[in-house]
Amino acid sequence: MDRRTFVKGTFLGGAGLLLHGFAVRAQSDASAPALPPIETHGLPQVKPSPLGMPGLFPGRVVEVSNANAIARNRVAQPEIKVMIERGMKELTSESSLPAAWARFIGPADVVGIKINPSGAPACCSSPEIIREIVGGVQSVGVPASNIFIYDRYAYEIDVGSYQALVPPGVRVVGIQDAFSGLAGYDMNVYCQANFFGEWETRSYMASIVAHGVTKIINVPTMKDHSASGVTGCLKNLGYGTFNNVARSHRPPYSFTDPLIAVMCSVEPLRSKAVLHIMDGMRQVWHGGPLTQVQDFIHPAGTLYLGTDPVAIDTVELEAIEQKRQKEGAPSVWEHDPASITSNYQEFFHNPSKNLFYRRPGHIAAAGKLGLGIADLKQIDHRRIA
Amino acid sequence: MNQTSGISRPSKDGTDWPALLKDNSRTGGQGTATARAPDHARWQIRLGSSIRSAPVLRDGVLYVAAVGGTLHAIDAQNGLSKWKFQAAGQIHSTPSLCGNKALFGCDDGKVYAVNCDSGAKVWEAAVSGEVWTSPVVRNGVVFFGSADARLYAVDAETGGKRWAQEFGGRIYSTPFATEKQLYFGCGDGNVYSVDMTSGKLLWRASTGNGIDSSPAVTVETVLIGSEDFFFYALDANTGAVRWKYETGLGIASSPAVAGDLAIIGSKDGYLYALEIQTGRLRWKTQVSEVVTAPPVVGDGVVCIQAGGLVALDLVSGRVVWRAGLGGAVQSAPVLTGDVIYLVSLDGEVYALE
Repeated sequence: MDRRTFVKGTFLGGAGLLLHGFAVRAQSDASAPALPPIETHGLPQVKPSPLGMPGLFPGRVVEVSNANAIARNRVAQPEIKVMIERGMKELTSESSLPAAWARFIGPADVVGIKINPSGAPACCSSPEIIREIVGGVQSVGVPASNIFIYDRYAYEIDVGSYQALVPPGVRVVGIQDAFSGLAGYDMNVYCQANFFGEWETRSYMASIVAHGVTKIINVPTMKDHSASGVTGCLKNLGYGTFNNVARSHRPPYSFTDPLIAVMCSVEPLRSKAVLHIMDGMRQVWHGGPLTQVQDFIHPAGTLYLGTDPVAIDTVELEAIEQKRQKEGAPSVWEHDPASITSNYQEFFHNPSKNLFYRRPGHIAAAGKLGLGIADLKQIDHRRIA
Repeated sequence: MNQTSGISRPSKDGTDWPALLKDNSRTGGQGTATARAPDHARWQIRLGSSIRSAPVLRDGVLYVAAVGGTLHAIDAQNGLSKWKFQAAGQIHSTPSLCGNKALFGCDDGKVYAVNCDSGAKVWEAAVSGEVWTSPVVRNGVVFFGSADARLYAVDAETGGKRWAQEFGGRIYSTPFATEKQLYFGCGDGNVYSVDMTSGKLLWRASTGNGIDSSPAVTVETVLIGSEDFFFYALDANTGAVRWKYETGLGIASSPAVAGDLAIIGSKDGYLYALEIQTGRLRWKTQVSEVVTAPPVVGDGVVCIQAGGLVALDLVSGRVVWRAGLGGAVQSAPVLTGDVIYLVSLDGEVYALE
């Protein structure tokens, strides 16, 4: 692929993908603006890694459930320890936990653990899970000082109290100081598109991803998302790595599909993201990503492990769809104009209302970009209870 | 200010605010500062960097540490800069004032002492992890915790190391100093009490998760919140739990002591007023979706930065006014009676009157 790659409908493969999107729009939101071309500019001379997405185990999703893992809204560290050990062994077919970690991480690696603190404190990557991951990374010989727990927004990390709660020695990094600022980004690595006539049409890759770490362990949360349908592995990586992403959705329309997928395909992000452990202790089935309303947060007590973010997100999407159906909420695919509201309070408290027409199609788009398997029938979904 | 002991005490007129939550007694204000609803800004400045610590005030100078690494000395009357000191790393530590020095911790693993008149560095004390805690001064010694899991004691005049003691987790809880003991929370979930002269462990009390909150100590009781959702009252001599109160989520806020009440915020969005002797809830009020900052107390009023600045009646917990500015994670306003000094996450500094 050329250093400068233009991602257009044809590249996305798009007849099928784009036709799907257009078909949905034709049924409901016919006035939605057309998808503009998205230009990506990755880091040059990156040799794609075989560990990169979809990684060592394409299509494999290990779901570990434990009803005791979350009780009275508290995550139980001892249960998490057992769940991660079982999940890692099942994922890798290794008999020992250090051997399982060693499939992804070596002693010389600088490891980034990509958390999702947005939505803290009600639903964010659990510190209990992060602690176990740090322990696993250290078990293969990576010193604590070479482990970076990071996200884009420092203040959201603060709200989650991660600095105080993670093991000594590891670094906790907020890429952005406050609400703006480009100091933490590489201006030569970016995605460019003009979705709604915005002034700044580029989104730059975080320097810690481009240059600072050699491997990334992705720890997304399991949430409905008002614009992208779900926030899972792909959104946590894509929108947690590039800046200026809120411009991709302007009520009620969203271009999170395909931007999330495109961003995840940009090197070196694609090659460095070697493992995904989705925190499904709490399942937000409405109001994501920022809701604090406990009524729509189900204590699922589940972890999903894999190297294929598309497969994990496909399973996640199915689970959230099922939960919404059970609760009487409309599908995340619904594009009924009557469901749209601009009232945030109404949105947060009424599962039938939304700010956008959700676009979960970014998962399938990522599949078409070769990041993983989006067909539920082809996914090797292993359940451990 | 007591120059000989270096204890951060308020001035006679009560307007000085030299340390986190006003002074070493960590009452979070009180006195006669009325904290009336402000109707205008005397001045407002933008520092160009996020602010995630609280300001302190003495002798008409406001000291504000910005995340970008600059300690600002600002004329409290007009908002004009007196001097700036640039550190090598980010600053999340609330400054404290000791003698003629402003002390603060830094992410470069140092505590700096800066001359209050000139802004020149007096000394620096290097450790092996970032320092987010506010330096606490007692009997000529500066105490602070670090992300390297150690509690440190250094000489207030020189920065020379007195002792360092290692614990089981990162220390983001600012220690409370009494005459002989220090108390602090730790990322390993324990509350510790150590001997002030040696750092030797006196007792520890376990909670169910890590601790980000800073304690207050009054009537032989250590008051502190934990990420396990509980607010604890511990016997200051033994660490025994006198009572604990369950909130809806974790507690990163630090308590302010107002008479017989401890006021504490929880990440569940509520502010709680609890009787120190019994743990009985006097009132609780939802002030925002999330509360992580510490409250401060004026004359009959509790103020907290949660979303914006919110003032509540101390007796009833009723919200008496809100100001839609001053969004913060861990900052607290300075109340002087006439003026409220306030910093915000997005780098604004306000003098409201």
